[in-house]
Amino acid sequence: MVDGVLVESIEEPDDLDGFTLDELSEYLDEGRTPINPAIEASPGCQMALSALERLKNVSWSMLEAEAHEAPERDNVWITGLLDNIRREIRAGRDIPLTSPDPDVRMILTEGSVRGLIRAACDQVDGVLIGRCVLAGDVTIPGEPIDVDVTASVAWGENLHQLARELRSIIRTALALHTELNVAAVNVTIEDIHTHNDGKAKEHS
Amino acid sequence: MREAQQNTLLLEASDGILAARAADGDVDAFEVLARRYGPLMRVFAAKLLGSDVESDDVVQEAFLTAWRQLDRLAEPRAVKSWLMRMVTNKAIDRMRVRKQHDDIDDYEPPARSSDNPERIIEMRMQLQALSTALTNLPDEQRQAWVLKELGGSSYGEIAETLGLPASTVRGLLVRARKTLMHEMEEWR
Repeated sequence: MVDGVLVESIEEPDDLDGFTLDELSEYLDEGRTPINPAIEASPGCQMALSALERLKNVSWSMLEAEAHEAPERDNVWITGLLDNIRREIRAGRDIPLTSPDPDVRMILTEGSVRGLIRAACDQVDGVLIGRCVLAGDVTIPGEPIDVDVTASVAWGENLHQLARELRSIIRTALALHTELNVAAVNVTIEDIHTHNDGKAKEHS
Repeated sequence: MREAQQNTLLLEASDGILAARAADGDVDAFEVLARRYGPLMRVFAAKLLGSDVESDDVVQEAFLTAWRQLDRLAEPRAVKSWLMRMVTNKAIDRMRVRKQHDDIDDYEPPARSSDNPERIIEMRMQLQALSTALTNLPDEQRQAWVLKELGGSSYGEIAETLGLPASTVRGLLVRARKTLMHEMEEWR
């Protein structure tokens, strides 16, 4: 029962060579850096540190195990959540359109234009658009604006060619559906994901 | 076919891409984030509250607020810790209300996981021991410990959250840690 002894030693500060459990816990939280030779050389501290580490690991395992226990329960609140947020779609700014009738004001919402850009770009194999920003005053007809998008693309793609393709798709889509005066379209490749599992590198 | 492919891409997309799309109003991307982190956040809230019953509401509130504030998130890649902070705050709000109403005895203890026979087989004894030990801790000790070890909060943040002096938080953590370690080692 080595561990039985360990428990006793933890409760007995004398065995921690002058350190407290609290100090050891902080030392652990900081990744044991900078190295404290006195702690590292003390058998009592070493045992306490590994017990603390075990506790931390088991805590996370506990949380993860319990999180995956009730998928139907999570379905309930997630469905409710989505119903709620669909009712409050963010429209953003109003983008004017020329109206054939001077008495009728026609606008597109910024949100719908972003959606349009996302949908157009997502048609390209292995491309997922991230952020889409309409930079400039879109509320003034004819005002030059820039379109800035970030994207995640599949590993192995020709990035230059893909960026060119995306720029052209965005220009075409905006010319077709809006009257925006697009000065520049900037594509930033933010992530590369692999073909096999599709997992982006950033998410690990 | 294309739609299925696009769905897979979205399901496996990085947090940063999903948070950016969601900030632009993409509900599908937001749903992927909710499914990716929501269950963990719900369990975390339950540990913090010491009660399983309110945790669904708390996590839903957290995601609703997140949806409304996502466009203010400066670093979309950090969306996971941002969401954790969000759910922590919502749980804390609940605890404050509960404190005000002074009906601490009113809440139901979490459904014991051991009630479920499949669970006993599936779950390791150690996890169960910890879960039980955590439930049995006094409220403030449990909250301080969950915020520190699972929420990654600093002493200062915990003190502010619980409205206690930092020295008290330190004491709470010392006691919680000792009890939990003791319980854990018994199961080894």
